[in-house]
Amino acid sequence: MSEMWVNMGPQHPMTHGLWNLRVRIEGEVIKDVEPEMGYLHRGIEKISEDRHYNEIITLMDRTCYVAGLAWEQLFIVAAEQALHITPPERAEYIRVLSAEFQRIASHIMWYAAFVQDIGLMTPFLYGMRDRDLILDLFQSYTGGRLTYEYMRVGGVRNDLPLGLTDRCRKVCDWLMDRFVEYDRLCLSSTPFHERCDGLGVLEAPEAIAYGVTGPMLRSAGSRRDLRKDRPYSVYDKLQFDVATATTADVTGRYLVRMEEMRQAVRIIRQCLDWLDDHPGPVMAAQLPRWLGAPYAPVGNEAYLLKRNYPTGVGFSMVEEPHGEAGAYIVNDGGEHPYRVKFRSPVLINIWASKRYLPGYRVADIPPIMGSVDVCVGECDR
Amino acid sequence: MAEPAPSPPGEAPGTEEKPLLWVTRPLATAARQFAKSLWRPSTVIYPFERLEDPKFRGEVAVASGRPIGVGEIWDNYRGVHALNINTCISCNLCAFSCPDVCIEMVTVPGGDPKHPKKCPQIDYGKCSFCGFCSDACPEGCLSMTTRYELTAHKREEMVYSPAKMFEVYKSKLPMNPIRVERPKNEDQILLDPPICIGCNACARDCPTQCITMLDIPKTTPKPGEKVPKRIWKEPVINDSDCVRCGTCISVCPKDCLFWGTRQ
Amino acid sequence: MSTITLFSASDAIAAFLLAHIAYVFPAPVKGWITSGDVVLGLASLIFGVILLGASMINTIMLIWWERKLLGRFMDRRGAMHVGFAGLLQNFADGLKLFRKDTFRPSKADSLGFWMSPTAYMVTSVVIFGILPISTGWNGGSLPLTLLLALVIFSFAPLFIFLGAWASNNKYALIGGMRSAAQMIAYEVPILLAVVAVVVLSGSFNLTTIVLEQRNYWFWAPLFLALIVFLTGMLAEMERIPFDLPEAEAELVEGWNTEYGGMLFAFFMLADYVRYLVGSILVVLLFLGGWTLPTYVPSALTSFPLAGIFWFMVKAYLVFGGFVWVRASLPRIRTDQLLRLGWMRMVPLALLSVVLAALVVAAHCLPVLGCVPSMGG
Repeated sequence: MSEMWVNMGPQHPMTHGLWNLRVRIEGEVIKDVEPEMGYLHRGIEKISEDRHYNEIITLMDRTCYVAGLAWEQLFIVAAEQALHITPPERAEYIRVLSAEFQRIASHIMWYAAFVQDIGLMTPFLYGMRDRDLILDLFQSYTGGRLTYEYMRVGGVRNDLPLGLTDRCRKVCDWLMDRFVEYDRLCLSSTPFHERCDGLGVLEAPEAIAYGVTGPMLRSAGSRRDLRKDRPYSVYDKLQFDVATATTADVTGRYLVRMEEMRQAVRIIRQCLDWLDDHPGPVMAAQLPRWLGAPYAPVGNEAYLLKRNYPTGVGFSMVEEPHGEAGAYIVNDGGEHPYRVKFRSPVLINIWASKRYLPGYRVADIPPIMGSVDVCVGECDR
Repeated sequence: MAEPAPSPPGEAPGTEEKPLLWVTRPLATAARQFAKSLWRPSTVIYPFERLEDPKFRGEVAVASGRPIGVGEIWDNYRGVHALNINTCISCNLCAFSCPDVCIEMVTVPGGDPKHPKKCPQIDYGKCSFCGFCSDACPEGCLSMTTRYELTAHKREEMVYSPAKMFEVYKSKLPMNPIRVERPKNEDQILLDPPICIGCNACARDCPTQCITMLDIPKTTPKPGEKVPKRIWKEPVINDSDCVRCGTCISVCPKDCLFWGTRQ
Repeated sequence: MSTITLFSASDAIAAFLLAHIAYVFPAPVKGWITSGDVVLGLASLIFGVILLGASMINTIMLIWWERKLLGRFMDRRGAMHVGFAGLLQNFADGLKLFRKDTFRPSKADSLGFWMSPTAYMVTSVVIFGILPISTGWNGGSLPLTLLLALVIFSFAPLFIFLGAWASNNKYALIGGMRSAAQMIAYEVPILLAVVAVVVLSGSFNLTTIVLEQRNYWFWAPLFLALIVFLTGMLAEMERIPFDLPEAEAELVEGWNTEYGGMLFAFFMLADYVRYLVGSILVVLLFLGGWTLPTYVPSALTSFPLAGIFWFMVKAYLVFGGFVWVRASLPRIRTDQLLRLGWMRMVPLALLSVVLAALVVAAHCLPVLGCVPSMGG
């Protein structure tokens, strides 16, 4: 049979969002792939230039809809650097707690979608059921289930409600049991190994050359984790291990993500203990006026120039559930950032599919692309 | 991108060594879940069972396998707004703070004819439920409730007038108790005295009535200088009552009010 | 035509027609009707209609059964609002599909596109005509019922591939090719497993096979054959973990990507008809058909239609097993599927044939004091 191009997307069950993977196949063997992104481009970077710093946080939740708090943290770290604000330590711990819960939620979402891609629907429902508990926790202190709008430049919106830490601990215990169940459904299953072992191999040197980060890189044995290598927030005070695997294939990514979830629970428990012992403010005391809740009219332009707001540049890299995300903010002293740029790990990870897809079969595309954990929202921004 | 294709699959270590019919553990896992959910699956039968329902605090929540109290998660929910029209001071801050520009201040009955009372009207077609408006509300009259059902047949029905939000307020739904504290080093409204003409616009429109016009001595112009045409009054702002809404700045015809810190 | 004379349902209908209906007609018509062939044909027609209705209702119930079971495996509830416990949900779905417009892509081949679902449906339903459901409850009892059933069962890849090719769609084409490859590959182990049963029972007639299981059900001596048959049936039915032809993750809907509305409903219904037939075949060949073990209290077997009742209970339970597998295993790849079929299932099936022969030999050994229980 001669070669032909097959469009997998933009409306296709494999894609989990709006993007298109053009595949050149001969029989069932992939010869070449061409990812096409941009269907979900919303211009978030440009919109950000016209918003107050805190208002950009509402966009961050929509950048990656499964890891909203991680992206909020990414932006907040950069914005605080650009605005020369130091948040109170309690706020930092709450942020780390949120980000790690978000990592578990995102990985569970990945697990659910990935295993459904290889034809097993049961984990999807187990995953969604367990993720719901994390969303319940988020709802009880941020007020939202998907778009949290919780972090603020200079702290977080509100302190944790009473009793939340105990509820978090209960959820952590529950989740640790569920992780065992997940492994029973997948790792102990021969068909799962048949579908996943040795697929989508991307060795560490190639991954680094392509800029691939996150679990994809760690599954190749590289111990690259920004939480260790370039600690932000309070990660340098917390004990955890970097999850790695050696096979650089789909199973390796599965193992890395599962281990990351367990490590995240470990981090969360430390955060909870710290938060119980250290009450305090969650918002920086000294903030520029335009970072307060109301954004009243600025008045005359001439006075705006007189105000002498601080200028600066903020750059942050955060180990987001999908990989290393970056944010770059230029603050020229106005109320809005002058320029905002985000680095999406998913975009790079998808683009490297030119390297790790050819040679496999059409039936391998769902597990391989599923193991990348595609989130088109952040990829296209 | 003409890279050499990787080696074909099937040669990775571990593929061949797996036992043939190693499917018992997943089968057992599914069967265990089957036995567990025979009594009650974790699903919530949504229109009939509601998570915000007090019943869920008890046995139903436990039976559905939720390790945390379900009722507690609703304490902080950001749903449809409740507006207490009676305490609203028409300060516009909710409309200013809205990132989606979905709040419009509309006239409600109750004000005097010269200065009609204005209250927020929210277009839920645009609203993103970020809660910035209720955070910004200085009087706590705009807050968010646990109501989340917004289906409507027409777009116009998505627009909630102040009266409709007052209905929500009166329905006594649990409301988001969180009030965001204002930063301590907040800017104040400052006056540039030489420009002011004493027109009273700021004091007239101030929602909190914290601006009073005080008489100032009439300056005698030096020879050759024009006598400024103005009313000899000057606004004085009571900082503790001021909610920093900036209404005075926007109504000032001469741009003589501005944000700043008093030295 | 048959050496086995069994009381069959169409004969009963014919007798009923002769006894209670025929006398209302005037003499010449009555004479024509009662002339043997006509009344038998009429009776077969009536039986066919009853059978069609019953099989359709059972098929739709099977969908409900799968939805409910799968729901519990997945910690959810399945259909629950239309009718009691969602029993009428699938009828509602069918009504919805019936109301939808059916259309053909402009570049699809008209004849193949329309013919494929119809033929698939017909060839699937027709098997019910020859499957015995209980003592005497069958349309016709031929000596080679089992072979005929399997032959009709294996028509499917033809029509699937026809529909897939005619749709002029790449996903459909790949799915159709996978389907054809898989179904043809798994014919072999299935037939070998069936040979084991035939060796043990000595007959190709399904009724005889069931009756031969009066001492012990065949799953015990032919456990290997049962495993092979179940695996093969999973592949023939295209169910997870062998549903690669409709692997929705990569092939959208596989070979029925371009079909919508009632045409899709035809494919779906025919699929479930095949699931039902597969479950029934397992019951007939390995689980004793409509019989129950002798130690079961007779109250359980003596009520009216007890045979049909227990038969359907067994068939639904077997299908429940298929659902269980679907709830716990992921889909495997075509090459792995074929490797499993040729390199594991075929040897296992051959082994089971040998085992069956050994069991028969053991029966025949006079030292063991056994009486050969050969039928036929």
